[in-house]
Amino acid sequence: MHILEEAFRARGKLMEFFIAQVLNGLSLGSIYVLLVTGFNLMLLVAKIIQFAYPQFVVISMYATWAVLRATNNVILAILVTIVVSIFLNLLSEPIFRRITSIKGTDINATFVASIGLSMVLVEIMSHSLNQGFPISFSDNWVGGSVFRYGIINISRSSIFAWVGGIIVVVAFFYLLYRTMVGRLFRAIAENRHVAKLFGIPIFKTSMMSYLIAGLLGGFIALLLSMLIGTASPWLGESVALKVLAVSIVAGLGNLKGGLFVGLALGVVESVAIGYVAGSWSNVIAFVIMLIVILAKPKGLFGAAVE
Amino acid sequence: MYFLGFSMTYILMAWSIYLPYRVKHLHFLAVATMAVTSYMGGILSVNFGWSFLPTLLLSIVIGALISYLISHTIGNAPTFTVVIVGITFVFIIKTAIENTDYLGGTIGLFGIPVLDHPLIILFAFLLVIGYFLYRIDHSRIGRAASVIFTDENLAKSMGIKPKQIGMLFQTISGGIAGSAGVFYAFFVGSLFPDFFTFHLIGTLMTILFIGGYTTMWGVIPAALILRGVPMILPSSIASWRLLIYGVLLVAIIATKPKGLITKKMLWELLKKRSGS
Repeated sequence: MHILEEAFRARGKLMEFFIAQVLNGLSLGSIYVLLVTGFNLMLLVAKIIQFAYPQFVVISMYATWAVLRATNNVILAILVTIVVSIFLNLLSEPIFRRITSIKGTDINATFVASIGLSMVLVEIMSHSLNQGFPISFSDNWVGGSVFRYGIINISRSSIFAWVGGIIVVVAFFYLLYRTMVGRLFRAIAENRHVAKLFGIPIFKTSMMSYLIAGLLGGFIALLLSMLIGTASPWLGESVALKVLAVSIVAGLGNLKGGLFVGLALGVVESVAIGYVAGSWSNVIAFVIMLIVILAKPKGLFGAAVE
Repeated sequence: MYFLGFSMTYILMAWSIYLPYRVKHLHFLAVATMAVTSYMGGILSVNFGWSFLPTLLLSIVIGALISYLISHTIGNAPTFTVVIVGITFVFIIKTAIENTDYLGGTIGLFGIPVLDHPLIILFAFLLVIGYFLYRIDHSRIGRAASVIFTDENLAKSMGIKPKQIGMLFQTISGGIAGSAGVFYAFFVGSLFPDFFTFHLIGTLMTILFIGGYTTMWGVIPAALILRGVPMILPSSIASWRLLIYGVLLVAIIATKPKGLITKKMLWELLKKRSGS
């Protein structure tokens, strides 16, 4: 009887641990969903593979950290983060416009340029920001526990990630399917040349996509800084890799597929961290994604962009 | 010696990326293959006393075999699928090396015997590979690859099989990268997992796209200037190497997306010379 009771208790703890990891994974997955949504928006409307998008998010996190350290003013930190993110995205627009306007170039060229941009940003961060050392956010910013049951611990940052993720995704899809701007986005995504023939302002709409991606990037920076409480110059590289992988597993440019795969990646990664030791845990999610990509090179849900 | 040795190893690596890009495949699996064969070469020489030549031959076979097996699924995959498969493999292999004590883990693998005359051997090997690539570029396969690059549907309508050519180029790329791994190991004498990262991918992309991807010759001056010159610069400037690469990469794509040395430019140069 005693052994059975112990076994049930142990089983209960295992279940609690699993649930805790899944909940953590959903928070992380929400961030991935937002990142992939921003990435896909640029891909569909601006017709670019913006590999440097996560680097913009990381620089915006540095901006949050700098303002909080200097002023401790939360409102100002939020505003500055969003402004920095929008600014960086808009700043990259002329580069990509120039590249896409050159005869004979394709989407590959935008990817190569964004890798170059990514290298520049990583080097600037690793040489100049906080002397290249990783940054940590204060406990006030990260927030403590809101709900605890056994080993299940729901933090304030997790709630922000879930709620923020849901609100932003709902708002984004509302914008895309219920507003005039969204119609313009979808028209360009469907066929850029036909959209141009029908008098849709390609440049203005494309700029709008950079602006919205920047706004989204600002929110992601805020949520990510609360959730992981730290950032380093190399964070963007691993995040960019995951975002590109999620986008390809879902099907390049497939917004709905990105929601599912982004969440799934967060959960798989978090569960792997819980059960597998050391840096091997990071590999699990990549191995799973690799198997899916090798089995279905055009994505699970079909690519919207070739 | 280091200047030339490093530059020549990077030329080999850049060629392994160049060839699959003839059919629009950014084949970063070559970097993962290089990691595998360099460590394999290191272990075989340090622990089992293998000499350079058999290690080199085995590495070419292993490198080609890895790429051949993977090419069954990505031989005709979209560009970004090939990209992500390659980068993911690099990440997985690096993590595996870091977590394996037998391979030296994060500390590194030391004591690999350095070649007596590395520059002569490297140069001779480079000539052989260069000639081989030249022959491919100027063969029916090379011309078919050019059609695939321009328009895959057109290529299919002409009876060209993009998957077969993609698989062939990826396999050759793996073989070249395999040899580059062994050359690197026997040239430097020590291996660190941190070498096989995104930085290496970025450096190779910079060499390929600045040199020019339309001809195999572009990567030669690009590797010499971009990888070699920073080695003789003061460390205060050389430490900004990757930032300079990034700026140059963006600038070249925005101004001359085919790179500094193009096939057209070489043709015109040849025509001028034969005319005069």
